[in-house]
This record gives sequence, structure tokens and C-alpha cells, in this order.
Amino acid sequence: MALGGVIRGTTTTLRTPTEEDLAAYARWMADLRVRRIASIWHEPAMPDTWKERLKEQTKEKDNVLWSIEAGGRLVGMTRLGWGWEPHRDSAHVDQFILAPDEWRKGYGSDAALALHRYLFDYLDLRRVALELHADNAAARRICEKLGYVEFGRGHEVYYRDGAHVDQLWLLMERAAWDERWGAEHREYAPLGTRTVPGSVSHPKPQAKDGEREERENT
Amino acid sequence: MFGPRIAGEGGVELRPPTLEDYRQNPRWMLLPEVTRFWGPRTISETDADAEERMRKEGARDTSIVWTIAYAGESAGFTGVFDIDWVRRDGETGIFIGRHDLYGRGIASEAVRLRMAYVWKELGLRRTHNWIALPNRGSWRANQKAGYAQVGTYPRSFFRSGEWVDEWLGEAFPHTYPADRLPDAWRR
Ligand SMILES: CC(C)(COP(=O)(O)OP(=O)(O)OC[C@H]1O[C@@H](n2cnc3c(N)ncnc32)[C@H](O)[C@@H]1OP(=O)(O)O)[C@@H](O)C(=O)NCCC(=O)NCCS
Repeated sequence: MALGGVIRGTTTTLRTPTEEDLAAYARWMADLRVRRIASIWHEPAMPDTWKERLKEQTKEKDNVLWSIEAGGRLVGMTRLGWGWEPHRDSAHVDQFILAPDEWRKGYGSDAALALHRYLFDYLDLRRVALELHADNAAARRICEKLGYVEFGRGHEVYYRDGAHVDQLWLLMERAAWDERWGAEHREYAPLGTRTVPGSVSHPKPQAKDGEREERENT
Repeated sequence: MFGPRIAGEGGVELRPPTLEDYRQNPRWMLLPEVTRFWGPRTISETDADAEERMRKEGARDTSIVWTIAYAGESAGFTGVFDIDWVRRDGETGIFIGRHDLYGRGIASEAVRLRMAYVWKELGLRRTHNWIALPNRGSWRANQKAGYAQVGTYPRSFFRSGEWVDEWLGEAFPHTYPADRLPDAWRR
């Protein structure tokens, strides 16, 4: 649960993070361009500390981490938290960071769309929320295209470049996904059937141990 | 960290929690009278775990927790959590487990004392909170100590067939009512 699997976008792919990714993570978190507009995942630290952080992340039950690739290169990372028990029907985007050298190539939009397809089309979530620095124009634009709406504004929450900036709270409902993206952006082609006819009234006979695999594969 | 003793009016006092308070608080969280806007009414700790939790919270330097005492007895707790010491921002919360005491101004007094400490001693520059909108007792107590609503999270709680929205609030040192400073800060 704590490290994400593969989610394919058009130009980007979200995939499981590895130790080899950590040097790049460390570089991004130490980059002022990133720090001024986004909430980072950990402060710069020694390589061993980063390995420890990744190990801890694998044990997390409440959030999940992905690396983002484009053209075979590592270009970013994202981390999500799940809603509180027992529903777990919502998520919160804690980090979504692209390497500054990869900005303005459309990777952010593509990876964000793929991620939200996973959340709504695969996990069947009810909603996703996040906070942004109010001056993060690119992230605001991506959120606006996806279908996020603002529901709150904290004043003078972040400090960067000698001044405070506000915090925006945004929310994307499942209905926005269905309306804007649902029809086109499906991960799997429709099966045409939803249930096996008669499956409720005629449960499968219990297979003997040795037979189970064979039956399920036929 | 645990907060220091701060005497208030009307029999209300904030004081550092005791182990008995740590054992009592989760029991209150199992009562329907207390959890309409608190959830999920389950616990996952024994009395022995409460001691461990108390040890951890006492050692944590990103939160301050007080017991709210009324007429000398524990009635609930309040605190500042997830303090970011770089941004000097934290999330505040309050919980009164003694539902027989609701509506007597205990939360109002506890929040007044807590916020005075936050601004005058901790040096935070902002605090924020989330409160179910129909939980008027909670947001009103905070509003009187300088909180203002800065957002509405729609359909946050589902209770008995109804969706309930949530208030997002924030407060700053300059929004605290100066004429309501507790005695500890009056000379
Ligand atoms: C919410 C809670 C803290 C309120 O505590 P309290 O001691 O009853 O609050 P107070 O008596 O100080 O009342 C605060 C204000 O709200 C008003 N109020 C209190 N209860 C109310 C109610 N049920 N309906 C409408 N107004 C109410 C009071 O009149 C007062 O406003 P005023 O000064 O303008 O008259 C308490 O009920 C509680 O802990 N509940 C369970 C846990 C919880 O919900 N915590 C808050 C989570 S955000």
C-alpha cells in the first residue's frame, strides 16, 4: 500500500520508487524553485537518511508514494494520503513535485490526469483534496483543468522570498471526474457484462485443493 | 509536550494531563453524546497503551496538550497539534468528554486560556482548525477568542441520514480580544 504501482499516462508513467531515485529526490527538495511553491517531502539529508525514509515509507498504512517517469527518465514524485477510517473513500495529495528542469513540458498535467484516473476509475474514491501555495500558477491551472474547486483560503500561511503567501484548499468530487473525464479516460476497456449470470443463486462448487488452480484458470 | 497550569474563571483551569486523564479520554470517545462531530467511536488501546501514548505525546515537541479541569476535576482536553515551528503555525482542537457539563462556558474559557498561551508564550503566528458547522459550541468558543471562518469543506460528516459541512478557521495574534486576556498576562 505504501509504495505505488504502475499508472500509465500518455507521456508519463507513475511507478514504484526505488533507492536509485533518492539522489534526485534529495536534489529537488533542496531546490529553491521547488521549495518556494510546494510542500516538500522531507528536508535535505544524508543519502543513508533518504534510504531510511524510503524504508519507513514502505511501512506506511495511511499514504502511498510514486516516482514519475517520462521518456525513461525520472522526472518527479507524488505522495497521497487516504481519508480516515473506516471509510477511506477520499484521498489527499500531500506532494506532487516535478523536477524544475522538466517544467513546461506538459508532464504535470499528464501525470496528474493519470493519477486521478487511478483514484476515481480504479479505487472508486468519492473525492480528492489538496492544498496549494496561492502563487503556484502551474498547479492551479492543472487543478482547474481536472475539475477542482476552491473551498477555503488560509491567509499568509507560507513564507518565501521575504513575504507571506496564502494557502488555497481545493477539492475534486467524483462527479467532476465522471463529467469531464469518465467517459474517455478509462484504464480498462469495458467488459460488456457486470456480473456472471446466476452467480448469486448458484455458488461455485467447492474445489478440492489440488483442483483449485486449474478450475480458476479455465 | 504538556502545557503548563493556567488558571481561568468560573472554575476552569488548564493543567498538564495525568495518566488517569490519558486513560479516561478514550473512554469518553466511545459515547454517542460526545461523538456526534467526532469519530469514529472506536478505540485501539488498552490502559497500558495509554501510558505509552502519554509518554510519546509528552516527549513530542510538535504539540502541546492540556487537560481541561472544571471544579478541580478533568472534563476533557485541548491543545495545539502538528506545530510547524518554522512557519509557526499549528492546528488547535478541543474535546469535552463530560457531556453533562456542555453549555456552561467551559469550552469558551478553555479556548481563551489556550490562545493566550499560544500567542503570548509560544510565539506562534497563526493557528487553524476544522469544526463541523452544526457544532456551534465549538466554533463559537473559538470565534470569541479570535477565530474566523475562512472556508467550508462540503459534506464532511455523515450522521443519521444527513451530510454536514465543516468550517475551516484561522486565528492570528492580532485577532485575539486584548480586553479578554487572562489574569496571568495582566500586570
Ligand atoms: C463542542 C464543545 C467543545 C463545546 O463545549 P461547551 O463547554 O459546551 O461550550 P460553551 O458552553 O463554552 O459554548 C460556546 C458557545 O457556543 C454556544 N453553544 C454551546 N452549545 C451549543 C449548542 N448545542 N447549540 C448552539 N449553541 C451552543 C454557547 O451558547 C456559547 O456561545 P455564546 O457565548 O455566544 O453564548 C463540547 O460540546 C465538546 O467537546 N463536544 C464533543 C467533542 C467535540 O465535538 N469537540 C470539538 C471538535 S471540533
